[in-house]
Amino acid sequence: MLAKLYIQFLKFGAFTFGGGWSIVAQMKEIYVNRDKIITDEELLDITSIGRSLPGTMIGNIAMFFGHRMAGFWGGVACMFGMITVPMIVLILITSFYTAFQSNLWVASAMRGVRTAVAPVILSALMGMVKSAFKFPPCYVIALVMFGLYFFLRMSPVWLVIIGAVLGLMMCEFYERRSH
Amino acid sequence: MLLLELFWSFVKIGFTSFGGLSMIPLISAEMISHGWMTAHEVSDIVAIAEMTPGPLGLNCATFAGMRAAGILGAFVANMGALSPTYTLCAAAAVFFDKFRDNKRLGEIMTGVRPACVGMVAGVVVDLVLVNYAEAGNIHVPSVILGAVDLILLLKFHVSIPKVLMLSAIAGVIMFGVIGL
Repeated sequence: MLAKLYIQFLKFGAFTFGGGWSIVAQMKEIYVNRDKIITDEELLDITSIGRSLPGTMIGNIAMFFGHRMAGFWGGVACMFGMITVPMIVLILITSFYTAFQSNLWVASAMRGVRTAVAPVILSALMGMVKSAFKFPPCYVIALVMFGLYFFLRMSPVWLVIIGAVLGLMMCEFYERRSH
Repeated sequence: MLLLELFWSFVKIGFTSFGGLSMIPLISAEMISHGWMTAHEVSDIVAIAEMTPGPLGLNCATFAGMRAAGILGAFVANMGALSPTYTLCAAAAVFFDKFRDNKRLGEIMTGVRPACVGMVAGVVVDLVLVNYAEAGNIHVPSVILGAVDLILLLKFHVSIPKVLMLSAIAGVIMFGVIGL
């Protein structure tokens, strides 16, 4: 059972390009449609909680699913399955990168790629903006956090914790006001 | 000692990141302050992570761990980044039904999301300052290439890996062949 889970998630892990949604789609294909082990709703529950807990979304989803199938060690098997291929690929790429970093052609290609990184993050940021501003003070939070990060170089760890506390306070405030 | 430092760094990154790009400010701050990556390398790893399988956070962990302490370092860094998964998430799996209806998590995210938007915007400015400059001056060909990339992404909805591949080819031609 553990070996089966490990191998299945090894396959999932090999096809997760740039984000976790493709594995959710693969899990739906195999576990919901083909094997009928879990329902659509259950997969949705696993996904939404995996997303909202800290850490890597697909690691969390793997843990939840594996835990459901075979307890803690099932979760661990799925988690390790998920990371095996990406880790091997990245180890190879990092060795290659380190060896060829100063080669003219590799360096030129990386210089080209670097010009695309800020636009890539910016375009993803646009996607985040839609769901980020639930209450008006959220805009102030974003602006202040920008300042604390960029000008004062405060640690993002603290900024996330402050954001979490402010989130709880805001929701409490708006809930009381609506009563 | 180095391995312990790596592990702890990625535990911090893991526990304060909520998916995708929200990890970048943390990774950038931790990597640069420890001297495990330069600002350029942070850009490179974001690009590499987008073009290879696996989530950004874990790919960064592998890259940084490899650079700092070899394959063992890569493994240790991954275990750090995954620490919320095998602690918090494993615990949540036991009490899954209680967690499903927990609205505190949603409330926390109400504040964490705008905070991440602010920080990621800060990272974008950081990257712009590093990636479009050469010896302290604005490097015009890079700015033009970046502008083209932005238009491809936002206006024509070209996928991220494709944009990165096109930029690599453009880089080889512009900086390698022509020598801009």
